[in-house]
Amino acid sequence: MRMYLLCALATGVATSLIGLSAVAADPIRIGLVSEITGPNAEAGSYTINGAKLAAEEINKKGGILGQRVELVIEDNQSTNPGTVLAISKLGGRKDIPAIIGPIRSTQTQAASPTIAKLGIPTMIGGSDPSLTRVNNRWLFRCRPNDLYSSRVIADFGANSLKLKKWAVVHSTDAFGSGGSKALLDALTAYGVEPVLVQGYTNNSQDFTPVVLAIKKSGADIIGSYMTTSQDLGIFAKQLRQLGVNATWVGSASIVTDTAMKLAGDALHGTYGVADFNPDANEEATAFSKMYRAKYKLEPDVYSSWAFDAMNVIATALNSAKDTKPESIRGAIVGLKNWKGVEGIYNFDEQGDGLRGYNIVKNDNGKLVFVKHINFEK
Amino acid sequence: MEALANNFQVLFQGLALGSIYALVALGFVLIIRATNVVNFAQGDFAMLGAYMMVACLVGAGLPYWLSFLLALIGMGVFGILFNYGVYFPLRHRGFLPVLISTLGASIFLQNTVLAIFGAQPKRLDNVIQGGVQIGSVFLDSQYLVILAVTMLMVAFQYFFFEHTLVGKKLQATSQDKDMARLLGIPVALMIAVTFIYSAVLGGLAGVLVGPVLFVSIGMGSIIALKAFAATIIGGFGDVKGAIVGGIFIGVVESFAAYYISVPYKDAYAFMMLFLVLVFRPQGFFGEKVSEKA
Repeated sequence: MRMYLLCALATGVATSLIGLSAVAADPIRIGLVSEITGPNAEAGSYTINGAKLAAEEINKKGGILGQRVELVIEDNQSTNPGTVLAISKLGGRKDIPAIIGPIRSTQTQAASPTIAKLGIPTMIGGSDPSLTRVNNRWLFRCRPNDLYSSRVIADFGANSLKLKKWAVVHSTDAFGSGGSKALLDALTAYGVEPVLVQGYTNNSQDFTPVVLAIKKSGADIIGSYMTTSQDLGIFAKQLRQLGVNATWVGSASIVTDTAMKLAGDALHGTYGVADFNPDANEEATAFSKMYRAKYKLEPDVYSSWAFDAMNVIATALNSAKDTKPESIRGAIVGLKNWKGVEGIYNFDEQGDGLRGYNIVKNDNGKLVFVKHINFEK
Repeated sequence: MEALANNFQVLFQGLALGSIYALVALGFVLIIRATNVVNFAQGDFAMLGAYMMVACLVGAGLPYWLSFLLALIGMGVFGILFNYGVYFPLRHRGFLPVLISTLGASIFLQNTVLAIFGAQPKRLDNVIQGGVQIGSVFLDSQYLVILAVTMLMVAFQYFFFEHTLVGKKLQATSQDKDMARLLGIPVALMIAVTFIYSAVLGGLAGVLVGPVLFVSIGMGSIIALKAFAATIIGGFGDVKGAIVGGIFIGVVESFAAYYISVPYKDAYAFMMLFLVLVFRPQGFFGEKVSEKA
């Protein structure tokens, strides 16, 4: 009888041990929605690089809640429907406590209702301000939104450079129109009424009408929200060919590696806002060193935001102590002065983490850090 | 004076982009005439040609003229593969299977190129650097080259189809395959030649437009959409129509963007298409063929 009991006990212990070890071996899975195929696949590969690098570093430091972290990557085909599908797929797995979502505003907009329904904390990089103003408690932005990029562009152009005749050029997609609207508001605060506001659709093959309109307006500074590197390159070339020499301060896309390679000397002397610059702070310098060593590529915003997003998730999960959505949300909003490579994070109730940007200058093809402009609110 | 200069600038850009639409549209039309099928991969021929150019020029570091030649030869070889891989096995199955087959080929091509070259758009240098400055008007050298080559191609096309035996055999094949076969024309071979020629034309368009629009996976789709509208506006399956239609769309969208609104630029081409379909369904040069309906 005693023997029997002992056996039963041993079996019980063994089973629970097996159970325990199964838990320990089971990694924490973080979803990543990225652009693996389609026209933005290039940016997508940078995002994956950044997130993977962060995951590796996290694992080196002991993982999340004592477990290894593993990325589950879903392709969104660079499209809105693809994003919705990818998020649903990740949500359907039930073993994913947090997701790194898209960097594009339009994709975020499309997927927002799905994310709200799933109730999974999702990091986003889309910078359209309205994305975090739609009563979706589960979106957390790991980039400064366009209210800030536009305020930084306006502040730098109107305050630092003291230029008042503005032409605003923007794509008509969610990112471009959101950004340009915010820029117009920000300029109003500096008493500037732009001489020209000009939209265009993505993949325009010819910017002659836009350039001629700028020429006619007599603008001395161009503020731009352009989405694709090709558009930026074509516009830059035609701008210089038709003899427009206005100062140009662009949104983040103007200082991406690809845009600078495509446009070459047409972009020399332009300024851009960059959430990320290797010289902006210590964290950024350290990240850049690791990224270059691992991928033999220059890191850019597509990789830096994902790196931060992954680290925010890890930090939040570790301080939340469990993987319940509410706990994670509480932990993210509770982060105070958390230092990432893109700046210092303080998430508000709406989910916005960052409030400042770097201004960088394209100095003969090399990006030079000019200044960091940060806003309290 | 400035208004005149601006108008001239807008016209120039429109003509140049229109020429690219025309070259791709020409490829469309030749295949429509030979096989009665719209080749949805026609735009990707341009993309593929441009990437071949990038591979030779930037990748292998060959001289410009040699890269150009190799890209076109490469496209010719590709045309043969396309004919035997995408069209030939389905040739007796009618219109729809072939159409879907070309659609599949388009997706396959885009993703193959993506896998080989990566998603980062590539830069190609102009054939001749710089351009011509006349007052405030700037004529980009690449656009001038595009215009010149298109004119040459149109002349060559006319000569080839009207004054060579192969050209006449091709025409006969496109008009009536059974009759052509009875007359001893090798129809399958003629169709293969058509695919080769279309692939080279598409590749040529891509190589020419690469320095202007940059070389990217999506470059072909954007051009093809306009070129397709051009083939319908010009008259479905009409060679003259493809050229006139392409240039017409280029010029109209350029001026409409300048005078009316830039963001609606892409809409003008399709508005033209709509108007033509309503008021002249057969296109500019198409003939009314009632029994085809």
